[in-house]
Amino acid sequence: MKHLTEEDLVLLYYSEPEAPAHGQLHLRDCPECRGAAESLALTLNVCSEWVVPEPDAELGRSVWAQIAPQLEVQGGSHAKRHWARHLWGRPRPWLWVAPALLALLLGTFYLGRVSKRVESPVMAGLSNAARQRILAISLADHLDRAEMLLTEISNAGDSGAADISSARYRAQDMVDEGRLMRQSLAEQGDTATLALVDEVERFLLEMANSPDNANAAEVQSIRQRIDSGSLLFKVRIIESNLRTEGQKS
Amino acid sequence: MPQSEEITLSKVRGGDRDAFRALVDQHARTVFRLAYRMTGNETDAEDMVQETFLRAWKQIGKFDGRATFGTWLHRICTNCALDHLRLRQRRQAAQPAYHAGEDQSDPVALVAAESPSPERLAMSSQISAILGPALEELTEMERAAFILRHYEGMGIEEISVELGVQPGAAKHSVFRAVQKLRRVLEPAMANSR
Ligand SMILES: [Zn+2]
Repeated sequence: MKHLTEEDLVLLYYSEPEAPAHGQLHLRDCPECRGAAESLALTLNVCSEWVVPEPDAELGRSVWAQIAPQLEVQGGSHAKRHWARHLWGRPRPWLWVAPALLALLLGTFYLGRVSKRVESPVMAGLSNAARQRILAISLADHLDRAEMLLTEISNAGDSGAADISSARYRAQDMVDEGRLMRQSLAEQGDTATLALVDEVERFLLEMANSPDNANAAEVQSIRQRIDSGSLLFKVRIIESNLRTEGQKS
Repeated sequence: MPQSEEITLSKVRGGDRDAFRALVDQHARTVFRLAYRMTGNETDAEDMVQETFLRAWKQIGKFDGRATFGTWLHRICTNCALDHLRLRQRRQAAQPAYHAGEDQSDPVALVAAESPSPERLAMSSQISAILGPALEELTEMERAAFILRHYEGMGIEEISVELGVQPGAAKHSVFRAVQKLRRVLEPAMANSR
């Protein structure tokens, strides 16, 4: 009598159509193969005990908040399509890693200062120049994200009312982050950058407080203010300067 | 395909972000479950869910409606997983001194740390303490084929379509995966008895 192979047993376990037709019959009559099948089943059944942690009920929402700014415009002929493609066309995953790092760096930096200058060992070892470079890079990232947000709003209202909820959540996060930046800029006396960060923050606050489904007029009003103050342009200039500064060694 | 899904999809093809957002809401958790099995940890799984939907948005014009949207999304997620696992294996090959438990992407450490205490999860974390490293021994093709067969309940034929390989290759990936897992799990199970 020809015994079943391990492959036969795997196919039988999963009830694959390719499993040998005589398989079940053979298992009934052959203790050796039955033993092998039971041992295989035991191991595979153990694998089934591995359960996936229940995903967060808000998962869809958080996924949307992360991907919305990266979605390319498709179909139709948006007036700002080219610009949107330029911004969102390439995924920039580092942008979503940067805030965590930045919060960590700035958090330790400034909490250290206000709380009797007790700093983490990582930050304590840094020279002033190094700290300034970190701040410059963090600020550039902050402005980069602000720029994405402003552009998103700027593009949103083309067809009337828009769902700006994901932008709103991000704006909320960025308001807190911006506060740390402004504090440090004030200490350093960098008034030009400070004025811009202030101006950005006013938009962020306005965004953070706007309804999820802003009506066409509301979106239009925010857009006009972004366009008329050439805010995006200024953000890009300062951001680019900060990047250069951050790369100096 | 249900008519309502057909309507939503035609809106998405026209660039309707709200319609796409509804699809994200509807499918994110299902995609997460697959992504979690493929990667073995929540952080990578969440990144993969994002990547899956980004690719879906970009490729929506290629979706021909022969499968359901969920099936199509499943396939995209599997492809993301293959890319991710390839990258991870290359990274691990460059770091020979890999110790389970020290790396935050280690599924064992994460499941053990994050699982609440219900009995099923306690059992699961014991299982994954052995299964996690065992799965790391598989090639990306073997892992993907096994996850699809064992956890997603897909047949060999379907797996071959999803992975874009011949049915024979899909079948052998499942066999090799089972063999390797038995080699690691069975002695461990014998010891724990
Ligand atoms: Zn036999």
